[in-house]
Amino acid sequence: MPSGRSLETGLTLGDVDVDGAILERIECVHGDSRSAFLRKATIGGAALLGVLALPPAGKAQSAKDVDILNYALTLEYLQAAFYTEAEQVRALRGRARRAVEVVGAVERAHVTAFRDALGRAAVARPTFNFRGVTENQTQFLRTAVAFEDLAVAAYKGQAPRLASDALLAVAVSIHSVEARHAAWMRYLFDITPAANAFDEPLSRPEVLRIVASTNFIAAAGRTEREGTPRFTG
Amino acid sequence: MAPVNANSAHASREQFVKRALMTGGAVAAGGAVLGALPKLASSAPSPAQDVKILNLVLLLEYIESAFYAEARARGALRGELREYVQVVGAHEQQHLSAVRGALGNKARAKPRLRFGNATTDPDAFVAAAINLEDTSVAAYNGQATNLTKPTLAVAAKIVSVEARHAAWIRAIAGRPPAADATDPSLTQAQVQAALRKTGFLRA
Repeated sequence: MPSGRSLETGLTLGDVDVDGAILERIECVHGDSRSAFLRKATIGGAALLGVLALPPAGKAQSAKDVDILNYALTLEYLQAAFYTEAEQVRALRGRARRAVEVVGAVERAHVTAFRDALGRAAVARPTFNFRGVTENQTQFLRTAVAFEDLAVAAYKGQAPRLASDALLAVAVSIHSVEARHAAWMRYLFDITPAANAFDEPLSRPEVLRIVASTNFIAAAGRTEREGTPRFTG
Repeated sequence: MAPVNANSAHASREQFVKRALMTGGAVAAGGAVLGALPKLASSAPSPAQDVKILNLVLLLEYIESAFYAEARARGALRGELREYVQVVGAHEQQHLSAVRGALGNKARAKPRLRFGNATTDPDAFVAAAINLEDTSVAAYNGQATNLTKPTLAVAAKIVSVEARHAAWIRAIAGRPPAADATDPSLTQAQVQAALRKTGFLRA
């Protein structure tokens, strides 16, 4: 493979072209679409902040750790829903299809682990709308790469902030699994699995801004919504 | 050569993931993840302890960078493996420089190494690379709670790249890049034992 493998390094969720409408549109100067995008992004951001509002502290963790765990849980909800939808839509072929089964099961296990650790302090699952990207192999892989790289950077930003050693040990063991997923999805997408010698962290506001810009979070979780994800697009 | 993941928690972790895979993750797996913690060090993080840990990590980086440098110099690997060696070898050189730089005059000397056919034979190379990269991830993860926070922040920038390497070489070899929900961790003694077992270190 690939002498043809691109050494693309800067792929982010901003590069994911959903309905032709993420960062391209924010650059667009044609009145309506720009303001519509900004309005949607604001709603998405507000909904997300609602999701991440500090819940009542669990008895086992400090309030700050609970807050960090709920932030991680929200990112895991996002990833788990994304892979679960891709698996159920059945639009992927070959190695990507098998990868989705494995990675999806792991992301769901992460969700379960965090929910279990948080107990009643766990945030509810938001409602997602992936806007059709799970129905197309190329769009799916672009988005998966962006999600996984984002998760690596997000965990890296939070791990040193955890007060509890027990939670830190879990966080780092998940952090490196997310990095394996990132490399795996990049390999399937035929871009270099390891673009740099050092992976940089992202702060929580940076991560949330990127997530909000996707409009993948349709509504904050209120009551539990288990079961089949919404298929859209 | 088997990949190194022989910590005592691994069996229960495998069971946990197996259950998760069978049921789509809808099991109460959180307890299993939290129950699979490595033994935490009794001594609190300190700059002196950072030096000891970084010297262990430096040993890993010496071995990895020399391994890939030799594979590249001997030029026997082709295709995807050749590309992997070029990219990953350059990363390991930078990791080595960073860790050695952080240690300054407290850095251990480079060990004498011999890799035999592991830098020329594709099958031997793949097995050795998977072993070294998985060991590296487990070594960094195992020390996370023992490091001071500033050193942890730097180590975290390296460990995820090691995990990417591990996944990459596994993908090339047609092995699962990431089968478990959490990566295993190794103690310092387990890392040293794993490195001795490679046969790459000369007396």
